[in-house]
Amino acid sequence: MFKSYRKSLSLLYFVAPAFVIYAVFLLGPTLGGMFYSFTDWNGLNRTYDFIGLANFAEALGEDPDFINSLWFTLKYVLVMVFLQNGLALLLALLIETRKRSKGFFRTIFFMPNMISIIISAFMWTFIFTQVMPQLAEKTMMTFLDQSWIGDPRFSFISIIVVSLWNGVGYMMIIYLAGLQGVPQSLKEAAIIDGANAWQSLRHITLPMISHAITICFFLTLNGAFKVFEVVYGLTGGGPGRSTQVITMNIYEEAFSNNFRYGYASAKSVILFIIILVVTLIQIQVMKRKEVEA
Amino acid sequence: MKNRWKVTCSAVMAVTLLAGCGANSSTPGNNTAGQTGGESTGTAKTVNLKMFIAQPRFKEQYDSYIAKFVAKEKAEKNIDVKVQMEMPNPDNASQILKTRLASNDAPDIFALHAINELPSFYKAGYVEDLSNQPFASKLLDSVKPSVTLDGKVLAVPLETLSWGYLYNKKIFADMKLTPPTTLSEMKQVVETLNKNNITPFELSYKEAWVPQLFLPLVVGGLMNTGNKDFTERMNKNEGSFTEMKSMFDIVDLVNSNGTPKALETSPDDGAAAFANGKAAMWVQGPWYAETILKNNPDVEFGVAALPINDDPNATLINLSASTSLVVSPTSKNKEVALDFINYVLDDKDSNELFQSLKFNPVATVHTYESYPWVTDAMEYVKAGKSYQDPSIPQSVKDEVGKGLQSYFSKQMNQDEVLKALDKAWKDYNKVNK
Repeated sequence: MFKSYRKSLSLLYFVAPAFVIYAVFLLGPTLGGMFYSFTDWNGLNRTYDFIGLANFAEALGEDPDFINSLWFTLKYVLVMVFLQNGLALLLALLIETRKRSKGFFRTIFFMPNMISIIISAFMWTFIFTQVMPQLAEKTMMTFLDQSWIGDPRFSFISIIVVSLWNGVGYMMIIYLAGLQGVPQSLKEAAIIDGANAWQSLRHITLPMISHAITICFFLTLNGAFKVFEVVYGLTGGGPGRSTQVITMNIYEEAFSNNFRYGYASAKSVILFIIILVVTLIQIQVMKRKEVEA
Repeated sequence: MKNRWKVTCSAVMAVTLLAGCGANSSTPGNNTAGQTGGESTGTAKTVNLKMFIAQPRFKEQYDSYIAKFVAKEKAEKNIDVKVQMEMPNPDNASQILKTRLASNDAPDIFALHAINELPSFYKAGYVEDLSNQPFASKLLDSVKPSVTLDGKVLAVPLETLSWGYLYNKKIFADMKLTPPTTLSEMKQVVETLNKNNITPFELSYKEAWVPQLFLPLVVGGLMNTGNKDFTERMNKNEGSFTEMKSMFDIVDLVNSNGTPKALETSPDDGAAAFANGKAAMWVQGPWYAETILKNNPDVEFGVAALPINDDPNATLINLSASTSLVVSPTSKNKEVALDFINYVLDDKDSNELFQSLKFNPVATVHTYESYPWVTDAMEYVKAGKSYQDPSIPQSVKDEVGKGLQSYFSKQMNQDEVLKALDKAWKDYNKVNK
């Protein structure tokens, strides 16, 4: 009894430095933000009032911009989760089938991930506004000459393209690691049993990498809900608010419009709850389907 | 058990050590200032003055002016002034400043935007009343109102703006055109330009604050020709932007005669295109002068007032102040801080400062020759064809920028834009009761 108590205590000592920093710089502000979400603080005044759940009621009831940004974000999340995982898995499978130059392709596809998102957004802004029209002119592919980031119909596609370009590589690496962990014996057994490529993929490979799928879905869901830089760098949420995502709506509320910190905090709490619920469900569902070798 | 105490103690020590480091590093200026002061004269008082001006691009100019101020204080009052200048990036300066103020660590002197920030900081009690300072009487009558609230002069203006739209003087001269004074004349100008295959307007709507510029111009013009109490009534929830619907006359004219791909053109791209004569006019302020000249040093451009309807009296130049210095009421060195504030408009030295910053004259002591585009605008001001920038809440300005972007991309119609503006102002009233 005493021994185990001492053991957990020493564990605590080891964790303490990291935990103190975590608590001061992350946990504290988070709890502080939650506290402010019940107030009408404007970030400047010395006094503020508690207004209960009024902020939450306003955000969900009387703020069309917030609701619109919520829908836009959901649309983005849905498209991103499926495309990002689909493409990453496809790339991983393709690379896995190659006998040579595996490393080369792995590097090529992972490279965009090493560029900071905001910089890749600016790079792509240049591509969309300068390169595409030139390309269209030189190659006669007139469909390329669109208002890629100025027209709300196309800017969603642009945002998805840049997000995928940046994000697929990372997921691909996780899938690659998963694929390498699939026991060769099972695949061979399937071949001996007469399974074709599709059957062996569907019934051997996919179930065996289901833990990687869970992780990747979790990461993409989580990341897609919190998307900010890509949209900020490409369209700034515009034109108007047609490509505004939740995080940007929160940012605008807190730092540019009326400086309603309390209200913006309430919106972040809502976002936090949405992410929490969605990812909890996702993990619950997918965990159940995982199998061990 | 012994061990446990050791570990706990060391942990506590480590934390205090960390805390100590933090405390020390925040006040190195104080210590060094005290030492050097003591060594050099022995009797001189040492004052540590903290300043916060978010204009890193002017660091050299400010530093040299502060050096002069330090010398002056030493000579006249035998005070050793150590200035700790903080010049963060303007993008996040306002955040840093607010954090400072909220944590009772206010700089003695800090810069605020006279129209956008001063009122809310004044209401929160972070701004000292400077009405009785000598500099107040030197301010030009056209500038004074923008730093005055409740009859109190609260700040010394540094950067002032007088703007309408920019036009390319060479193109206008070639076409034998003069800046129009009414909307009908503007339409003729546009027609002439179109006939000669010159794009009349540069459009750069990628950033929402650019289309936003129409609002202060239209509201200012209309408020000075009849609708005097518009902002006042808006603040009481009694007005509506439907009164400003004629705004779309000029907006439509500009939008339908502009350069393509407006929503993808950033103001910097716009400045480059305008500098190279891609368009004859640009609804933008002379604060882009430097960028324009960088792109084409030979371009000649002027500032003129934008016509908004057929009443020539509504064609006015917008006058406003932006970067202005205020003194914190909690400053421990208020005397020195006030000295500096007055020194900014010093009879002798001020000319040089303002000239080196390329700012417009703000006080009677300013006698230097200004840039042609400033002179253009001053002509209007002297003829009484100017108005004080109407105090429109920042959130409404943001909204109009976004609204006009949406209007341009045909996602919103005129009524929807106006309705959104009404709502934004009502929200502002609700939040700032």
